[in-house]
Amino acid sequence: MLRITLAQMRRSAGRLAAAGVAIVIGTAFVAATLLASGVITRMTYDSVAAQYGDADLVVGATQDAPLDVDALAATDGVAAVAPVTAIYAELTDGARSVYQSVVPTADDRLMPLEVTAGAMPSAAGEIALPADVADRLGVTLGDTVDVGRDVVGDDGSWRQVTETPAVVGLLDDPFGAYARTGGAAVVDAATYTTWQTEARGEPVAVTEAAVVVADGTDVTAAQSALAGTVGGATSTDSAPWVVTTDERAAESAAELTGGQDLMFLVFVLTFAAVALVVAGLVITNTFQVLVAQRARTLALLRCVGADKAQVGRSVLTEAAILGLVASVAGVLLGTALGQTALWVAHALDVPVPLPGAVALTWQVVVVPVLVGTVVTVGAALVPARVATRVAPLAALRPADSPSTSRRAGKVRLVLSLLTAAVGFGLLAAGAALGTVWQEPTLGLLAGIAGGALSFVGVAVGAVFWLPRVAAAAGRLVAASGPTARLAAANTLRNPRRTATTSTALLIGVTLVAMMTTGAASARTSLTAALDEQFPVDVMVTSTASDADGEQEALSGELRADVAAVDGVRATTDVSEILVRATSGAGSAATWLPLTAIDPAGGAEVLNAPDVLADLEPGTVLLGEVQAQDLALGTGDSVELTDTDGAVTVTVAVGASGDTSYLTTDDLAALSSDASVTGMYLALDDGVDAASAVGAIQDVVADSGESAQVTGVASQRALFDQVIDTMLGIVVGLLAVAVVIALIGVANTLSLSVIERRRESATLRAIGLSKAQLRGMLAIEGLLIAGVGAVLGVVLGLVYGWAGAGAALGIMGDVSLSVPWLEITLVLVVALVAGLVASVAPARTALKASPVEALATE
Amino acid sequence: MDTTVYVPIDDGARDAVAPTDHVPAVRARALTKTYGTGQAQVRALDGVDVDFAAGRFTAIMGPSGSGKSTLMHLLAGLDSATSGQAFLGTTDVTALGDKALTRLRRDRVGFVFQQFNLLPMFTAEQNITLPVELAGGTVDRAWFDTLVTTLGLSERLTHRPSELSGGQQQRVAIARALIAQPEVVFADEPTGNLDSRSGVEVLSFLRRSVRELGRTIIMVTHDPTAAAYADRVVLIADGRIAGEISDPTPEAVLAGLDALRSLETPVSDDVTPAGA
Repeated sequence: MLRITLAQMRRSAGRLAAAGVAIVIGTAFVAATLLASGVITRMTYDSVAAQYGDADLVVGATQDAPLDVDALAATDGVAAVAPVTAIYAELTDGARSVYQSVVPTADDRLMPLEVTAGAMPSAAGEIALPADVADRLGVTLGDTVDVGRDVVGDDGSWRQVTETPAVVGLLDDPFGAYARTGGAAVVDAATYTTWQTEARGEPVAVTEAAVVVADGTDVTAAQSALAGTVGGATSTDSAPWVVTTDERAAESAAELTGGQDLMFLVFVLTFAAVALVVAGLVITNTFQVLVAQRARTLALLRCVGADKAQVGRSVLTEAAILGLVASVAGVLLGTALGQTALWVAHALDVPVPLPGAVALTWQVVVVPVLVGTVVTVGAALVPARVATRVAPLAALRPADSPSTSRRAGKVRLVLSLLTAAVGFGLLAAGAALGTVWQEPTLGLLAGIAGGALSFVGVAVGAVFWLPRVAAAAGRLVAASGPTARLAAANTLRNPRRTATTSTALLIGVTLVAMMTTGAASARTSLTAALDEQFPVDVMVTSTASDADGEQEALSGELRADVAAVDGVRATTDVSEILVRATSGAGSAATWLPLTAIDPAGGAEVLNAPDVLADLEPGTVLLGEVQAQDLALGTGDSVELTDTDGAVTVTVAVGASGDTSYLTTDDLAALSSDASVTGMYLALDDGVDAASAVGAIQDVVADSGESAQVTGVASQRALFDQVIDTMLGIVVGLLAVAVVIALIGVANTLSLSVIERRRESATLRAIGLSKAQLRGMLAIEGLLIAGVGAVLGVVLGLVYGWAGAGAALGIMGDVSLSVPWLEITLVLVVALVAGLVASVAPARTALKASPVEALATE
Repeated sequence: MDTTVYVPIDDGARDAVAPTDHVPAVRARALTKTYGTGQAQVRALDGVDVDFAAGRFTAIMGPSGSGKSTLMHLLAGLDSATSGQAFLGTTDVTALGDKALTRLRRDRVGFVFQQFNLLPMFTAEQNITLPVELAGGTVDRAWFDTLVTTLGLSERLTHRPSELSGGQQQRVAIARALIAQPEVVFADEPTGNLDSRSGVEVLSFLRRSVRELGRTIIMVTHDPTAAAYADRVVLIADGRIAGEISDPTPEAVLAGLDALRSLETPVSDDVTPAGA
């Protein structure tokens, strides 16, 4: 039987290869994911290991019984010891500041950082900076930099002390030892100890130290000697311990990534699973057609004595062989892709230290091969059952074009309808839970369950409704002529096959549309929420205070310079003052910070102009927080007092977050000498927020005035970037499923063409031109792909909106957006691919000479 | 690029062509077709000269492998000749490119196949009118009604091929072949897949198409009974014309075939005696 199976496979090699490509892509996806996960683990390990420099051993202890570094250094065979430690400090130069981790100098062998210019600091008042940090701060060798560090006073209170060490060295981090903390600055060990002690208020215990063993000393001997010194063991089971650097690095890398790389793996493998499901549909289709084509051969086998089980097994064996071969090819492809990506990354000099080669573990090979084979065999189960149903009698019937248009069962219809109904119900409930009852967790759960369930219902029922939709679409195009009529009729000949093919595409397109719609809705909703929370693009605020503790004014010159920066659309001046608020006779006065603004000017610069709608002379617009603190509501009156007098104003509670506003007119009554302490800026639409904020920072820094530039604009840009990046990754991953589905469309068309060889020849004989035949297949491809894509987009919109409703309802009004660009792109890709998919089959069909129509087999 | 200018004959002119023996609808001149090269070369047709009269029902007969199907394929422009010429009216079919051949098949030639070759997803009516639609023309309803009535298909127009008997399917195929009023209809073993009663029915319809509707039909068959329905039988053997019988009877055809066989050099066993 195996011989027959192999012979049949050889005869159908081309068709099997086309279907195998789907499995190849799916398993390559899985293999590449596993490899990427391995690379991430490896990177973490490398960077952790790099932290210890060239240390041979690592010694660890607990806070309660810390290490004595001097005792370690005095131990036999120890060449150098360095505590593993870091503190954080704020490095500032002018208006730019960087929050930076700082480490002490150490023995060269234990220092993972390399000096690229200058030298390591050797005394107090010196510092070495990572080269990129120095760039960002705009300092170079010989400049000084402000280092703000925390100091704990005797009473336990915090204050910030500013030092101004000179930059003596620029550093590189070739092994990425501090890549996770954005590099590290270095100060000399004594200074470091002082800073660290002052930050804690007491000497800080050393709980981990890296040790270099002297030349000629056996590492194991040194390990035992150190274990003796600290009174600990040579494994990390209980502290104190002494282990080799490799052991320690492996362990802390596992601690660091324990959850994360698993999350990554699950996240990406979800998409791989989608791709494999789609690949499975393509396989099912291919085998169904193969079985139909071989009906005569199978019947003949039954005639000469093969039993049902043998016929079924033959199909499954074929699937297993195909799955195995394709999966192995997939692993090879995935590995090649992973390695290529690493090479490209190395060539592009990405700032993250990457391993040079992918690590092929047994899991990377076995898991995808196993999964790919199981999916292929699983997909062939139904066709195998169909094969067992071929009656021996079929061998005696005249060969007619094989037909698989069996009517699908009623049970299936009822089940799919029920599943879809329950699923969509749950989905609606999820959206309602999110928006109406503000229960995003429950809503999301219901939404995900409903979405999955309804999609299963839709996909299972596809055989009933998809051909009808295709028929309706076919009727639309059929009006355009006989070629289109032929194409439309062809797509309906085998509803099951058309349904499976379109469903494969439907899955991918639905998910892509869902993600883009969800992301677009999330972006719109979150942007609206951000606008309300942080209504100003950029704020420039004076940070200097005069002798009385009052904020100093921003000079008119600076304000003019800032307003002239490229990308600034409008500015308005504000005064920040602290007044006393009395909310009624007898009640105590409370300090209330107010921002005085001209309502017209404010409306000009605010992203949510409605915020100031209620602000007019004689009112104070309280933020919700302040209103709550003062127990005031809209319509109440409150007396405000400052140096020059008092005014009584009406309260309006607005959606202005935690800022309260007063008009500049009322301010004049309170304080005659109130100065402009800040300005609100609005940026031009579409301007690069980060660079505009940078330019404003430069202007402020150059002015010499003490002012702070805060820009929600750059935060929002960052936020948009995060959404875009995430979306890009997700859509990229889903695109794999769409590609597989399109292979399926091409495969289905090819199979149909082979089946219809005689018919194509007949059509050619009765006057169908080559162009018309090509056109017919192109329209078939367009119909199959188009129906799947359009329905996928519609479903994706529904899912995306429901998901956005469920998840984002808590943030306020959910704006349902349609990502027109992405959706148009998806549709165009699907349609173009449908067209392209028809090219190769058309070539095959055109090879059929009309003479074949006359041939009698 | 095909440069042959093809001028279709309009219906009026075609009707004017008198069904006489003097105006051949189809001619072959030194028509030769070989397959393979060198030792393995097979001469399927070896310099055939033959005329087929317009308005007549002609059968081409011969044993399997005699070249009768090849002759028909070449005459209909379905296959290319190695040398020689085949004329449809005054058009040299062998000189035409694919585009011109497609238009020729669409407008001037009709086909009836042994396997019927109807499109399963279309109704009988849609199958019949398909050639006209492919050509972008409008169906001549009067002619359609005449055909449908003559072929007895009026009650079956909305049925799909799977709902029709073999004889009915072949009648639909004949209607399809005649709908564009072609100059000639080629029929390849039209009764090969039919039981004898349906076969007789189909042959009668073919003859009526010639006698009553003035069509020209060339039929390839190896069944002497079928051949006897024709006005004339052309016998072919070993790729050459071996004789002809006018106003044939089954007995005359059989006799002709026997004569052929006795003339032939010892034949291999797989040559099936005609009518077996």
